[in-house]
Amino acid sequence: MATKEYLRNKEGSNISKIVVDRDLCIGAASCIAVSGETWELDNENKAVVTHANAVDDATLLMSAESCPTKAIILFDKENKQIFPK
Amino acid sequence: MEEYKYLIIGGGVAGTTATETLRQNDKDGSIAIVSDEPYIFYSRIMLSKPNFFLGKIPFDNIWLRKKEWYEQNKIIFLSREIAVKLNSQAKTVELKSGKILKYQKLLIATGGEAKTWNLPEGDKKGVCYLRDLNQAKELIGNVETAKKAVVIGSGFVSFEMGEMMRLVGLEVTLIMREPYYWYPLLDEESGKMVEDAMENGGVKILRNSEVAEIKGDQKIEGVILKNGEKINCDLALVGIGLVCNLDWVKNAGVEIKCGILANEYLETNIPDIYTAGDVAEFNDLVLGEKIQLGNWVNAQMQGRTVALNMLGKHQPFKFVSFYTAQGFGLNIAMSGDVRIKPEYKIIKRDSPEINSFARIIVDGNDEIIGATFINRTQDMSVINKLIETNFKISDHESELADINFDLKTLIK
Repeated sequence: MATKEYLRNKEGSNISKIVVDRDLCIGAASCIAVSGETWELDNENKAVVTHANAVDDATLLMSAESCPTKAIILFDKENKQIFPK
Repeated sequence: MEEYKYLIIGGGVAGTTATETLRQNDKDGSIAIVSDEPYIFYSRIMLSKPNFFLGKIPFDNIWLRKKEWYEQNKIIFLSREIAVKLNSQAKTVELKSGKILKYQKLLIATGGEAKTWNLPEGDKKGVCYLRDLNQAKELIGNVETAKKAVVIGSGFVSFEMGEMMRLVGLEVTLIMREPYYWYPLLDEESGKMVEDAMENGGVKILRNSEVAEIKGDQKIEGVILKNGEKINCDLALVGIGLVCNLDWVKNAGVEIKCGILANEYLETNIPDIYTAGDVAEFNDLVLGEKIQLGNWVNAQMQGRTVALNMLGKHQPFKFVSFYTAQGFGLNIAMSGDVRIKPEYKIIKRDSPEINSFARIIVDGNDEIIGATFINRTQDMSVINKLIETNFKISDHESELADINFDLKTLIK
């Protein structure tokens, strides 16, 4: 599985890691529509995190939930997967 | 009679996102979703992805919400039900089963259906469409046994499914009315890039062509074109657009053009009736006109906004719409308004020769209004931001054409 990990250390946030499964990502860019502050497409048309701490947990979760292929995985501080459930 | 505070007709991405937003903001209000499909919310966007068809993505990835999600959020999900009558005075919706539901706020997010082939015997076995999961299952079944396919239309379905069919070894002929692929949304240069990639991938392309007749008894055996040419096939995938069935809405006095007409708040002309997603023909604040868009991200974003408006938050929908597609080694995207007028200017980034090409479309007021990207989708978010903020190109034209220039510095 080709994944990319991004650590998050935003104050007050319960999400500490964002993982993108690049095999699942199809570049639909729904995550960017929800949070352009966090996401962009790279030159392979895959979603990458530009600013892991840019937005609050609710918006980041919403951007992950918006993915039509469930390619965005979120972990909490105990490294427990919180999305997809 | 069952009564719901929020009644949602349509269980796709617009309806489900709206439901989710309603529940986040109103913990107790009763919500029901009416869906004509037997399935809970799934990823319609995955239906056209070769990796899904080829089993490289587990089938269960298609489900975007679990059954428990509906229960936990106290959402009534009425599947296999079709709305047949709307009474906006009594505020009721009648379903095909005879059930009548009363609503306080109604959202119509019924999307569209694949336009069917308007030909005699267009319903032969082996004639497939790809709009919902049942159609995808039927197509998968047909692909397993087929050897020769014709693909009709020059859009996303043909492009992505053409690749899938080639990957499984089918002989594929693409038949399109247009002079080149994605005409008129792409220019000829870009269209040619797409066609080159498809032809290199083994697809035979017939331009300016239309099917006149379908051959075969019960199952399709071939098609005859208007010019008389015959092409043998045992599978036809027809991707020629969408239609919306709106008589039940129209009969209640809701204004309809191609879709359901709505303002920028996604409100129809009748109080407490809203619309969102592919079925909505809404006032697009970015384009400055009423438009109907058929794409996932737009439907999702509208689902959120319409819910906020159903909650009384009076929030206009303003979003630079975009489409993306992948196949034959190409990543393709289109943003904003890509319909060219003579007075418009095009700024090009890279070129078809190096298989990476973007066109930035500038209107008569020097504002960026749209763009197309082939293997340059990394530019899309910045360009969308520039479209959204009515960016005037003034003396930035050479920077916009320079791929070594960091476009992000143009965002204020």
